[in-house]
Amino acid sequence: MSDAVHEFTVEALDWKPYVRPVDLDTATPEQLDALKVTPSNKKVSAYVLVLANEAETLRERTPLFNDIMYSEGGLSRGGREIGALAASFVNHCIYCAAVHAARYIQLEKRPEVVEEIYRNGLDADLPEFEQALFNFGVDLTAHPDNVGTYQFYHLRETGLDDLEILDLIHSVAIFGWANRLMHTLGEPHRQE
Amino acid sequence: MTASPAADVIDTMLGLDRFPDLKALRERRGKLKHLTQTSYEAALRPAEPRNFSYGMRAALAARMATLWKSGELVAHYRALLDGEDPALSAIADPGTGAADADARLSAILAHVDLVTLAPKEATRANIEKLAAAGLDDRDIVTLAGLIAFVNYQVLVVAGLKMLRDN
Repeated sequence: MSDAVHEFTVEALDWKPYVRPVDLDTATPEQLDALKVTPSNKKVSAYVLVLANEAETLRERTPLFNDIMYSEGGLSRGGREIGALAASFVNHCIYCAAVHAARYIQLEKRPEVVEEIYRNGLDADLPEFEQALFNFGVDLTAHPDNVGTYQFYHLRETGLDDLEILDLIHSVAIFGWANRLMHTLGEPHRQE
Repeated sequence: MTASPAADVIDTMLGLDRFPDLKALRERRGKLKHLTQTSYEAALRPAEPRNFSYGMRAALAARMATLWKSGELVAHYRALLDGEDPALSAIADPGTGAADADARLSAILAHVDLVTLAPKEATRANIEKLAAAGLDDRDIVTLAGLIAFVNYQVLVVAGLKMLRDN
């Protein structure tokens, strides 16, 4: 286990669980049903196989995650990835950050935004729009008991409408969920 | 469970019947609103509660909501404990620590507190402590899933309150 990664990186990583994943050969019908809704049927990730230990939860969680990150309209796809990145930096989910950094770059073609977040972490100095999204993600993740008027008007001044703000809230919140699974149930390793 | 299955727990606890604009905004993301509710049911009232009773799940949820000072969620989960074993109310109180519980419960409470407030501090050793206290792999995933869901709910409720009150 010497190749476990404990620092933020943009390189592609493997995730190795601390608990036993479900074995597809012995999975129950309920587990197979919950696993079916993942993007790929043939290669189910170790992470999803771990979550399949609780099939009832996984069955709801996968479509919820997909709707939050990929639904039509509202906040841009890249904007939602900034919310995901902010949460993952606060919660130190190295694997989540690497995946969503790559996805942001793929969507927005602006690697400099991700590079600045990786360089300066929570103190990143970003263009106005991305800064507003990132700051809100950091505040909501670190201090959910202390978001209010200040955060709201900052988002409004940046031009976000109600639906965009709602989408941002959900993209941050679902990583409050995902980080607490991925960072606690296993750890990232360099790909072999 | 005091709410009928048809009632959305977040709409109810935030009193959104009195805030029709915000209720309508949530409906624009109706699919995820529905899946948030079904995820609540899967985390708190699953068909197979196995080693985590409904009362224990509600008590741990009340504890997490209290750690984040999320008043509406505290009230919601505390209400689920009305008439239940008083030991569950003690679990809901973050003042009840490891010294007050048996080894299994003590490990569970320590993990709930850590992963709620400081998830970045969690390591392999924390999962090993749960296993050493007698939790099997599925128990560990169940507990992680409950912690993760309630923390998601805390953030959603905090964000919606910001929209409601500004």
